[in-house]
Amino acid sequence: MWVVRLVRNDQRGGALSSAVNNSLPEHFLGFGLGLRTDHFQEVIDSKPPVDWFEVVSENFMVNGGKPKHYLHSIREFYPMVMHGVSLSIGSTDPLNKAYLKQLKVLVNELQPEWVSDHLCWTGAHQVNSHDLLPMPYNNEALNHIVDRISHVQDYLGQPILMENVSSYITYVESEMTEWEFLNEVAKRSGCYILLDINNIYVSARNHNFSAQDYLNGISKDKVRQFHLAGHTDYGDYVIDTHDHDVADPVWALYKAALQRFGMMSTMIERDDNIPPLQDLITELNIAKTIAQDTLNYGIK
Amino acid sequence: MGKNSLASLQKIMMGYLLKGETIIEQSVVEQGNVSNQTRLNIYKNAYQARLKEVIDNDHPILGMYLGDDLFDEMVAGYIDYSPSSYTSLRDYANQLPLFLTKQKPFNQHPIISEIAQFERLLLDAFDAEDANRYTKDDLLKLSPSDWLALTFRFHPSVQLTSFEWNCVESWQALKKETAPDPAFKKSNNWLLWRNPERLTQFRSLSEEEVILIRMILNGDNFSALCESLYNNSNADDVSVLALNYINSWLDDGILRSFS
Repeated sequence: MWVVRLVRNDQRGGALSSAVNNSLPEHFLGFGLGLRTDHFQEVIDSKPPVDWFEVVSENFMVNGGKPKHYLHSIREFYPMVMHGVSLSIGSTDPLNKAYLKQLKVLVNELQPEWVSDHLCWTGAHQVNSHDLLPMPYNNEALNHIVDRISHVQDYLGQPILMENVSSYITYVESEMTEWEFLNEVAKRSGCYILLDINNIYVSARNHNFSAQDYLNGISKDKVRQFHLAGHTDYGDYVIDTHDHDVADPVWALYKAALQRFGMMSTMIERDDNIPPLQDLITELNIAKTIAQDTLNYGIK
Repeated sequence: MGKNSLASLQKIMMGYLLKGETIIEQSVVEQGNVSNQTRLNIYKNAYQARLKEVIDNDHPILGMYLGDDLFDEMVAGYIDYSPSSYTSLRDYANQLPLFLTKQKPFNQHPIISEIAQFERLLLDAFDAEDANRYTKDDLLKLSPSDWLALTFRFHPSVQLTSFEWNCVESWQALKKETAPDPAFKKSNNWLLWRNPERLTQFRSLSEEEVILIRMILNGDNFSALCESLYNNSNADDVSVLALNYINSWLDDGILRSFS
């Protein structure tokens, strides 16, 4: 298997090299992809040059059959992280104990590097919208989420990562910015942050805030992973669709994020209009090259 | 209007997504050129599109049987009838066969619900629990004295079902992209399972085999199976007949273990 190696490129004196810490963080996994059904067999057959895979937890909360077979076959050769969409950490419904139990079973099976979900709510009154609905950013929501994350972390026996979602509305109930909210959640709960660069871009466009302000507002020591993805630009607004290549402004924001947070485990999410695996690897190599050039590392 | 508590805000947002209630608009900040209705519609469209995609993926042949217009009508009706209570979309359409027995115009054509039920059973077989399967070699290791008290268990993927209409034949015809026969009544029994290569399979069953399978599910032993065959079949040697059934089950890979 191809494994990313990063070495300091002393021949290239990048302007930022003195501004960033060039020692690799312990949590750095390299450059990964979302594991998708379309690519299962090819991953097993060809062992492509990807450092790790992110799996959507709920897709493997099944008893057996092909999904589990492929998952475990691929896990033999690759590190994995688990990414959930149904924790609904911000919901006012009680935490779903059956779901948490399934999550823990899968964690024990896969032994992922970490477990993540979204800073959002997905349903209420026992109905699941299966969407990542935005929170109001206020103290009531903050206290509520911090308590629930603490409970989940205690149950799983490890800190989790919370991802910022893309959003299209701002509630009048909000009293702080999204990044202030996210940062405070991480600080008070002890969780870490999965920073979705595309989601920052999408929300910045939709709510007319500065994406750079968002990055600057997040504590450097709390971020453990970046997501990259494509979106659909409708001019007046942008929708997070995960069905396109990563857009140029998102690559630019990725570079800015690297400058602030240093080398970071990075993966590309593609959930629709899924291209051949090689196309995603080519796109992942763009991320790697940007990281190399931005942080003055040689990547072998 | 005062500011909502978190619980209240979530209640009115769900009211918007599920029932189109617009009170949520009062809780959304006006921003730029994009109206609040447009912003909220992004969520409503995503909610409906996501659920439709699940039904589309789970029930491709049902979609072909109904055609686009009726399929869309079914999806819209089901989304209203059955908001998801599941954490995984894998289970969202579990109640679709039941819905189709209740809702006009679908309930006037019972074969439609049966096709939906058949596709859900295929899904159940697809990702049921894994288990070791018995082989003929395992069978040969049994001593003669073990046989009479021998009991069987099926692989967890095995599904036994019966239909009143020609739903499976219609499903097969559409799968081959040929026109199905008109619906007609036909009592028939089917076995579905996932084979050792993890492929989903199904075949029809005789009444005699259905009786044996139900007996196995009830925990009856080999001796009881032979007795049933003796009482209900014209075979000269029921033990040979019983062994033929067991051999076919071993070939299918549907037996989990002997105990």
